[in-house]
Amino acid sequence: MEFSLLAAAAIGVFGFWLMLRWEGPRGNAAGCAVDLWDAGLISAVVGLVVGRLVAMASAGINPLTDPGQVVLIRSGVSTWATALATVAMFGAVTRLQFFPAADGISAAAIAGLAGWHAGCLPTSACLGTPSTLPWTYALGPGGVSRHPVELYAAVLLAIASIVIALWKQHGRPPLAAPAGAALAVAGGVNLVTEPMRISLDGGPEYLYAAGVIIGVIVIAGAFLHRARSTTAGVTHQG
Amino acid sequence: MRRFTLLTLVSVAVAFALIACTPEVTGPLPDAPTPITEAELVDLIATNAPAVVNVWASWCLPCRSEAPLIATASTAYPDVTFIGLDVKDSGADAKRFIAAHLSDADMTHVSDRSGSIPVALGGTSGVPLTFFYGSDGSLVHTHFGVIDEPTMARYLDEISR
Repeated sequence: MEFSLLAAAAIGVFGFWLMLRWEGPRGNAAGCAVDLWDAGLISAVVGLVVGRLVAMASAGINPLTDPGQVVLIRSGVSTWATALATVAMFGAVTRLQFFPAADGISAAAIAGLAGWHAGCLPTSACLGTPSTLPWTYALGPGGVSRHPVELYAAVLLAIASIVIALWKQHGRPPLAAPAGAALAVAGGVNLVTEPMRISLDGGPEYLYAAGVIIGVIVIAGAFLHRARSTTAGVTHQG
Repeated sequence: MRRFTLLTLVSVAVAFALIACTPEVTGPLPDAPTPITEAELVDLIATNAPAVVNVWASWCLPCRSEAPLIATASTAYPDVTFIGLDVKDSGADAKRFIAAHLSDADMTHVSDRSGSIPVALGGTSGVPLTFFYGSDGSLVHTHFGVIDEPTMARYLDEISR
């Protein structure tokens, strides 16, 4: 059963790779010396391991005495720990080029997330709350028709990743704005689809909301900073 | 060199923190799971309520990872009967496992020393293994291996309808 989760991860990595490959010849992260493929994958893997370790510790399982359980990702991963560790690792890898690299990886990261959500197909974990809408479906004998909520999230994230990539290519966004947009989109899509998910103790809505708020603040700050820089440049020249 | 020292110190600190957070079994141990036959278990399942039979063993490492989810599910769905079927285990080890990992669970534990009941119910001899029964006693889903939260939530939602 664990192999189906590997397939989901592979789909996520493929989405990430595909977007980076598409953006590469189109001026993505021009002037940024960071290898976005390496930085993205290392950060994601470190984030996932830290998230799993935190989930194990909070469940009372000692990773030192039961190290083999780290690979049982299916048993649960701490979302907040994964998110924080991923960003921290990305910061450690990119250092002074954090924002250019974050912009460069923004669309690809969202495409990777879209792939991860689409990975519900091999894991048979796409379905959420019951619905009678025509595109909903059931799994197994006696199953109830349900929203394919993870596929909704995958489609929304895929569209958002393409929009961010096109914005970077044609819209000349200020530094850090695409990264902020990616953060806001990642939080927003999960926030919107969360009511259609079924879970035992509710999802981490507070984390998704925090992602949206921080993302919007970063976008606003980026535009404000560029406007001030432009004004200061004009004043200085005058 | 400074970075290596810092990394070592952080690793040692994390290791100590993880050791410190490992739960210790304190106080009296719970009762050992009651030995049961296949017929008795079927009677226990067919009580006009949906039921979940989680097959576990104290020697099964993935069962430890799965236990918190089983405990959460058993309290989140009070209308569902949760039965823990301990297989090929000793009473003393089973008691320690329940105390360490399933003390918060709202479930009844029974035992099958031979390990033949899960196979007779339609499963395998591997653990963990989880059976989901409707309120009419019919088997709705069988999940082999460690179950994840979305799958557990969906199966519980379906047998509770």
